[in-house]
Amino acid sequence: MRDLTDAEVQGMGYAVGLELDGPELTEVRHSLNAMLEMMDALEVPGVNAVEPVPLILPDTEV
Amino acid sequence: MEQPDIPFLSATQLASLIEGRQVSPEEALNAYLDRIEQVNPKVNAYITVCADEAMEQARQAGQEIQQGRYRGPLHGVPVAVKDQVHTTGILTTDASKIRADFVPTEDATVVAKLKEAGAVIIGKTNMSEFAIGDSFSSFKGPARNPWDLSRDPGTSLGEDTGGSIRGPASLCGLVGLRPTWGRVSRFGADGACWSIDTIGPISRTVEDCAVTIGAIAGYDPKDPYTRQVPVPDYRQALTGDITGLKVGLVQEYLDPEKSGVDTRVRDAIIAAAGVLSELGAEVRDVSLPLSVNCGVAIRTITHVERVSLHPEWLRERPQDYHHNTRVSFSTANLIPAPVYYKAQKVRAMVRREVLGALEDVDVLIQPTSAAPAGVMSMDGTVASKEQAKQALHRGGYTGPYSLTGTTAMSILCGFSSEGDGGLPLAMQIAGRPFNEATVLRVGHAYEQATPWHNRLPPV
Repeated sequence: MRDLTDAEVQGMGYAVGLELDGPELTEVRHSLNAMLEMMDALEVPGVNAVEPVPLILPDTEV
Repeated sequence: MEQPDIPFLSATQLASLIEGRQVSPEEALNAYLDRIEQVNPKVNAYITVCADEAMEQARQAGQEIQQGRYRGPLHGVPVAVKDQVHTTGILTTDASKIRADFVPTEDATVVAKLKEAGAVIIGKTNMSEFAIGDSFSSFKGPARNPWDLSRDPGTSLGEDTGGSIRGPASLCGLVGLRPTWGRVSRFGADGACWSIDTIGPISRTVEDCAVTIGAIAGYDPKDPYTRQVPVPDYRQALTGDITGLKVGLVQEYLDPEKSGVDTRVRDAIIAAAGVLSELGAEVRDVSLPLSVNCGVAIRTITHVERVSLHPEWLRERPQDYHHNTRVSFSTANLIPAPVYYKAQKVRAMVRREVLGALEDVDVLIQPTSAAPAGVMSMDGTVASKEQAKQALHRGGYTGPYSLTGTTAMSILCGFSSEGDGGLPLAMQIAGRPFNEATVLRVGHAYEQATPWHNRLPPV
């Protein structure tokens, strides 16, 4: 997948009320691109059919 | 007992002396305060030491014991609490300039339970700012590893989201128990990640852990996610007998190609599996092929959930955060919803994989950390995407059990050679949900059969 640019990351920041610029913008870009790339590469067979319920544990000791 | 020796006792050893009136709670506290004065300038483990309040509690404990009203194995024993856990009248900063003046008016449930058990709250421990999981963002400066002051102590010292009980225990040569999610109330603990956070003990021995978890566990109406599950007497589980227990040795974490495990750690885990086998356990190979790659999934979830607690501060006081926290929170705010949703789906599959493995064995064992404590870098700058990816791989060792919501404990299982720093190596023991007793039982049997927990750090 293509990396996001500084301008794109800055635009995403505006959408959530964050003013990002300078060296900090670059660090956020690196961090975000790393996360998006690794999550995209995480190929798990059958993952699309999974219901992502956060936690279901048995009520009693097993 | 000479006062300087007291801080080197286990909590249960000290409790025994207090119960037998060979050491008073005030003497124990003074010994700890002296030790903190001597060592804290080097290790920076405490943000706040509450000597006056602790002395008042110690005096009360001493009077009660003199009057024959002994409450149990934490009575008069000093306990430190992580600085994200509320303590009435005591500064609770989350290691952040933003909370520098916050003094709670109500105890967290775990603190209330510790006080009820007679423990003496001696102070508040250092952590990464708002528990973000690095080693240097605390506004009071970083904590240091007592085995080598140049090395990482493992981020925070207490509450466990992705591994902040097990990680510090691992790198500092201690025992750390992450309880099952819902076993211990989180009321009054500033959240890092609501669906993963747990509060549990870090201690010198497994027995200390058993005593402490017994004191703090249980249903709490103030935390709707605690379960109404009976709390056993965990000390009774420490029989030393693990004959016939099934232990799964997770293969992916022994393979440097798949997990990046350091061969010193790998060899220590294989040796530990051998000890468990000699003690009568049935050790078998287990595979968790998905879990070993889940580091990025847990980081995605914790990023999003953590930053959701800080919307106003991040917009209105961004400069009051440590630079590294600000970059982390800003990144978290930009993670697209479908990516977070995928991470939750991966989590569901990791949970299925781990719980499936635990149907066939009583506990799983593997390293807690890939390597012994590394030299701390004080530069948190994210210089490249590749560097950021390396950081995201962290969490792959402790993450599977955090994502599953089950219990896992880190226990010392060796040291690197003296020529190689003499640093602690650690084994993680994971069990079925709400079955901390079996995890403690296995850890205790191993601890009693090995000498590692008797070694003290040089600081």
